[in-house]
Amino acid sequence: MMDNKPCVLIVEDEHNILSFMRTVLQANGYRVIEASDAAQALNMIPSHLPDLMILDLGLPDADGMDVIKSVRSWSRMPILVVSARDQERDKVTALDLGADDYVTKPFGTSELLARIRTELRHAQTISSQEEAFVSGDLTVDFFRRRVFVGDQEAHLTQNEFRIVTALARNAGRVMTYDQLIAEVWGPNALSDNQILRVNMANIRRKLEKNPAAPRYIITEIGVGYRMNEG
Amino acid sequence: MVRVMRVNNMKQHTAVSDALIFLLTMAAAVGASLPLKLVRDGGVYMPMIFLAAVLFIARFTSGYIYGAASAVGGILWISYMFRQPYYEFDFLYGDLVMFACMLAVALQTSRMTQQLREQEGAYAEAERERVRGNLLRAVSHDLRTPLTSILGATSAILENGDALTSERRTELIRGVYEDSEWLIRMVENLLLITKVEGAAQIVKRSEAVEEVVAEAVAKFQKHYPDSVIEVSAPEDLLMVPMDALLIEQVLFNLLENAVLHGRAKRIELNVLRSDGEAVLEVRDDGRGLQKADFPHLFDGYMGRVERASSDDSRNMGIGLSVCLSIIQAHGGRMEAKNVRPSGALFRFTLPMEEADDGQ
Repeated sequence: MMDNKPCVLIVEDEHNILSFMRTVLQANGYRVIEASDAAQALNMIPSHLPDLMILDLGLPDADGMDVIKSVRSWSRMPILVVSARDQERDKVTALDLGADDYVTKPFGTSELLARIRTELRHAQTISSQEEAFVSGDLTVDFFRRRVFVGDQEAHLTQNEFRIVTALARNAGRVMTYDQLIAEVWGPNALSDNQILRVNMANIRRKLEKNPAAPRYIITEIGVGYRMNEG
Repeated sequence: MVRVMRVNNMKQHTAVSDALIFLLTMAAAVGASLPLKLVRDGGVYMPMIFLAAVLFIARFTSGYIYGAASAVGGILWISYMFRQPYYEFDFLYGDLVMFACMLAVALQTSRMTQQLREQEGAYAEAERERVRGNLLRAVSHDLRTPLTSILGATSAILENGDALTSERRTELIRGVYEDSEWLIRMVENLLLITKVEGAAQIVKRSEAVEEVVAEAVAKFQKHYPDSVIEVSAPEDLLMVPMDALLIEQVLFNLLENAVLHGRAKRIELNVLRSDGEAVLEVRDDGRGLQKADFPHLFDGYMGRVERASSDDSRNMGIGLSVCLSIIQAHGGRMEAKNVRPSGALFRFTLPMEEADDGQ
């Protein structure tokens, strides 16, 4: 029975923080394995094959980035990065290297659990097979390429639709500016996020009641955007 | 890079204005001297005019060059126009004495000007030190209280765990939770101050104001779920160069002030555009600001007196002084006032052009 629990690897060198995360995860039905540095983590992953890794970017021995790169070279295991508030750039680098999402220290337990649930769900379902995304009044119909707010159709341009689709397929998970730009304008597009901002402003004016208090597409300042889940 | 360029610009700027002061003053002195040509023995009054010009130039230009140059220019002009033989340079012993006097005045005045400037700099530095000291005192004081209560609560739980009822234990733990939350926000603010102090470290990027506002409000409502905030922003997308995390913190602090200090029920957050700058205002319907608070509103002293009796006002002063430092580092302005029928209004501006920065 115990083996059916999802296994989470926590890579964290602060003992108290590790202990608090372990307690919370175990209490919520996860099996927890622990590593206190990058080398140990890289040793453990192939033998334990955890379902998800929580990785602190402030590790003492090696760069958390190396762990991400190394894991991403052979595994699509979800990686949740933990960073301090002023490590904004590291966060973005980690995400662009292939980490799936992040939580910022200090974080609450509900936030941590929500991120883990989202990642585990994304890892299980192949999102391209879903027909539509629904969150509150918002419906994104991937096949018919239409977006509705309530029963009103929102008329999005081609690029706006691509942005909304990318966010909806990754609902609940942050997408960096660069990831979105690559998704919409292709991998070789200049990473000028100005155009993305303008598109986003237009999308918000079409989808949100009050663009300054958005319900569906949330800004992660300095990082990117996140579609709220239903 | 941008900073270095600005410093150079400023140097050029003072060089240009120094030359201008020199030329205009000399022209004025020459102009004033011409009528004396018509007066008999007018030449006698000449040195007075040029002495005044030398004094003025030495006082309002930097360095010794312009003062000395004006003394030389003055003596040449006097010898050329007002000494026989007229219209040629011919120096008498008296001219040399006069020249020595003018030069002495020029050099002494330049030196005094220099000293004055240095003193002003030292005074400003001392003032900054004083503000920093106040802040440090205020912070240490503010940190001690929640830490004491955390220590007390946790040791109570550790030592009497079994004897406590579960409600009692939950209450203690909730206290620890709230105090830690508060401490974290305080520390974030302090980190921001150190970041802002060296203005060079502020990295501004063009950001959509509505996104920053939305993020600040969302974060605030996570901490204060009962608060009612109405946001309005212009229809056009407003892009402003800023450090978005810092501005987000400013908005968070202002909103928190409105709730904790102003006891506001309803808060309005308005984004406006006025020429060349974005204007953001936080208006609440709370009890407003005390008249006595105004002089210390932004310097870390705010709420210090009341704090002894009611702890809801803690953090107010530091929060506001962080706000002010951040806005100033962006080249913006910040103001506070009371509004009718009740409540406070905090308003700050952010220049939309990078060039307006800091000036």
